[in-house]
Amino acid sequence: MSNSGKYFVGTGLIALALLSLSACDTGKQQLGDAASTATATIAVVAEGQTGSGIQYGFGRAVTAEEVAGWDIDIRPDGQGLPPGEGSVEDGEELYEEKCGSCHGLFGEGEGRWPKLAGGMDTLTHDRPEKTVGSYWPYASTLWDYIHRAMPFTAPQSLSDDETYAITAYVLNLNDLVDEDFVLTRDNFTSVEMPNRDGFFVDNRPDVSNPRCMDNCKDPASITIVESLLAATSNSDEEVADDVVENNVTSDAAGDNSVTESAGKPVYDSACKVCHSSGLAGAPIPGDMADWEPRIEQGIEVLYSHALEGFQGESGMMPAKGGHTQLEDDAVTAAVDYMIE
Amino acid sequence: MSVFNRTGLDKPEARVPQSNLPRQLTQESAEKVTELSGDDRRGFLKRMLSVSSGAALGGVALGGMGATKALAELSSEANLPPNVPSWTRTLGQGVLTKPYGEPSSYEKDVIRRTVPWLTADTISSISMTPLQDLKGIITPSGLAFERYHAGVPDIDIDQHRLIINGLVERPLIFTMDELKRFPSVSEIKFLECPANGGMEWKGPQMEGVQFTHGMISCCEWTGVKLSTLLEEAGVKPEGKWILAEGADGSGMARSIPIEKALDDTLVVYGQNGEALRPEQGYPLRLINPGWEGNTCIKWLRRLEVGDEPWYMREETSKYTDLLADGRARKFSFVQECNSVITSPCPEKPWRAKSGADKGEPSTGWHEIEGMAWSGRGSIKAVDISFDGGVSWVNAPLKGLVISKALTRFAYRFKWDGEPLLLQSRAVDETGYVQPTLAQLREQRGLNSIYHKNSIHTWRVESDGSVRNVQLG
Repeated sequence: MSNSGKYFVGTGLIALALLSLSACDTGKQQLGDAASTATATIAVVAEGQTGSGIQYGFGRAVTAEEVAGWDIDIRPDGQGLPPGEGSVEDGEELYEEKCGSCHGLFGEGEGRWPKLAGGMDTLTHDRPEKTVGSYWPYASTLWDYIHRAMPFTAPQSLSDDETYAITAYVLNLNDLVDEDFVLTRDNFTSVEMPNRDGFFVDNRPDVSNPRCMDNCKDPASITIVESLLAATSNSDEEVADDVVENNVTSDAAGDNSVTESAGKPVYDSACKVCHSSGLAGAPIPGDMADWEPRIEQGIEVLYSHALEGFQGESGMMPAKGGHTQLEDDAVTAAVDYMIE
Repeated sequence: MSVFNRTGLDKPEARVPQSNLPRQLTQESAEKVTELSGDDRRGFLKRMLSVSSGAALGGVALGGMGATKALAELSSEANLPPNVPSWTRTLGQGVLTKPYGEPSSYEKDVIRRTVPWLTADTISSISMTPLQDLKGIITPSGLAFERYHAGVPDIDIDQHRLIINGLVERPLIFTMDELKRFPSVSEIKFLECPANGGMEWKGPQMEGVQFTHGMISCCEWTGVKLSTLLEEAGVKPEGKWILAEGADGSGMARSIPIEKALDDTLVVYGQNGEALRPEQGYPLRLINPGWEGNTCIKWLRRLEVGDEPWYMREETSKYTDLLADGRARKFSFVQECNSVITSPCPEKPWRAKSGADKGEPSTGWHEIEGMAWSGRGSIKAVDISFDGGVSWVNAPLKGLVISKALTRFAYRFKWDGEPLLLQSRAVDETGYVQPTLAQLREQRGLNSIYHKNSIHTWRVESDGSVRNVQLG
């Protein structure tokens, strides 16, 4: 867009061409506006913003290379899958290293982290278990999500082959492929998920409530179900206050526990997911009871555990928290940041 | 109860337990001193000294007028007439003390809150809007509920890009500056997580409207219509779906039908007059008015046009509605008509917070107030019931009534202290009437998690407290 006059002439002509092709009713009105912009001023263009048909010419053509770096979506028909392969056997090793601490060694899920395996035929139960095997309709979703978002602490860090392998292993955990199975782009769509026909497109509204105004039901028929919280509490106001108080207190503690330092970005990207939640026994910044016995061992011991890893009764710490690409200085800065 | 009454110190023993007085003074003075500085602090400490010695030496009697004045300053009435408030006798802060303004320190409890047991950690979690403290229909940006799956990314706006690819004539890439050159629109729309209320399919358990209904916000969004961008790229005839994808660590992505994309979907960079907040998708997000919040992809980096949906994790494993027969609804986009009373509510009981009748039920006139919304359009009417749905009265709508936006309703009511089963029931422009929980359960069972838009019941007790209950 070297100068505005030239630009507006250009867009006017493009709009003209487009509208000639589409020849829609709304376009005819626009045609006049667009044509006038070709010979007129900015003010006229401003009046022409009532409908479709304008080509503004903003942005630029995206290159195939740029798209390839970001276009990572995979569809059930296999569209988007890159070349590659991975075995259940390789997947098991990768899974135990990168996935097991949250999802459990057998896909059973630690704490509230998602359960990945089991739960077959439980969808009609009081407490259905919606796992990859029992609920997910397509294996492509598994490949796509592992590749785009896992492991939780290092998204988009897995290679294509690693993704094939971990996908194969999770399918195996659900007894959907054998333990000698090798998943490839070519055999991908042959994997059929048990619940693939379990979904139907939204058909709401599914209820119809008449707008009754008087004598809508028998007052004697009303039963009242209270919340557990209210039922066990002497005073509802205390309950509300407790909720408020607890949140305020914990927020304040969180703010006081950490201050800005060089280690903060490292902590945020590499350490926080475990150290902010206490996952795998990780000491939480600001929790002095957690940290004091550790700090007593001396800072060099803390550094060495962070750099080389640690396994003990109190928990486990992978070398550099699993982020082996980090420089040693970055890791020790993060340790400093956590104990400040 | 205040420490002093208007007649002064004639009966101090009736108002201040003597044994507690020095400790109380010490504690209060310590708090007070931290708020003061310079001359204020010196003067205050001097007065405190005389009070303390007076209390210690005199025992029952509290000394002369100096002590009276100092104590009055500590009491809750020091700033009330006929006394002249401290803020009237001093200067406040100058301009730019806070270049970006923030709420009064006295509003410190008006904050988002979460339910820790809902999620495994705080990186992939949700916090709720404090509906009980809000007025009007606009949710302040800093109070809008937040939900994300890999934390809030810290995106440099100059390095953010939006790519449009797939079944288009002209695959394009935009900088933020380029996107802002397109004609913009500003629209007030609600944004709601389909899991709003989802903790209560099996029974009531959240004692607060912030937790039963707080996964909703309503803001003025500014940006480009998605149809404008799609016309710029030129959707091929076989293009039937759009994939919207975020730049966060979860790569949050959802498939959107082309009909919606060309209808009212917005690609926004503005929220309530300023840039989007990081928690809300800075610098760019999608807004699908009236649809599940998770379709309104934040940190938007890519739009792909395709001929089929993608079946991403968030439209298969999550955000599908499991029914009692084991089948599940997919692409259940619309947030159906819903409403809730926000005053009273468990956090805002009909009980005096202070004054001589503190803790007593507040009988007399009240304005019952609440909000209604529908993903299918405008709110047409709201009814209120005081008896658990046996009979209903119409509650007038209040303020702006905008399609797919929060809409206020209010009803003036003189409460005699009798217990109530208070409910609201909204009707939208399609004639859809907000259903009962029993009706939803009958159709869907107890495990669908999402889209619980049923009539909500607060039980107002005769003591003025308000409890979350469900009616059978």
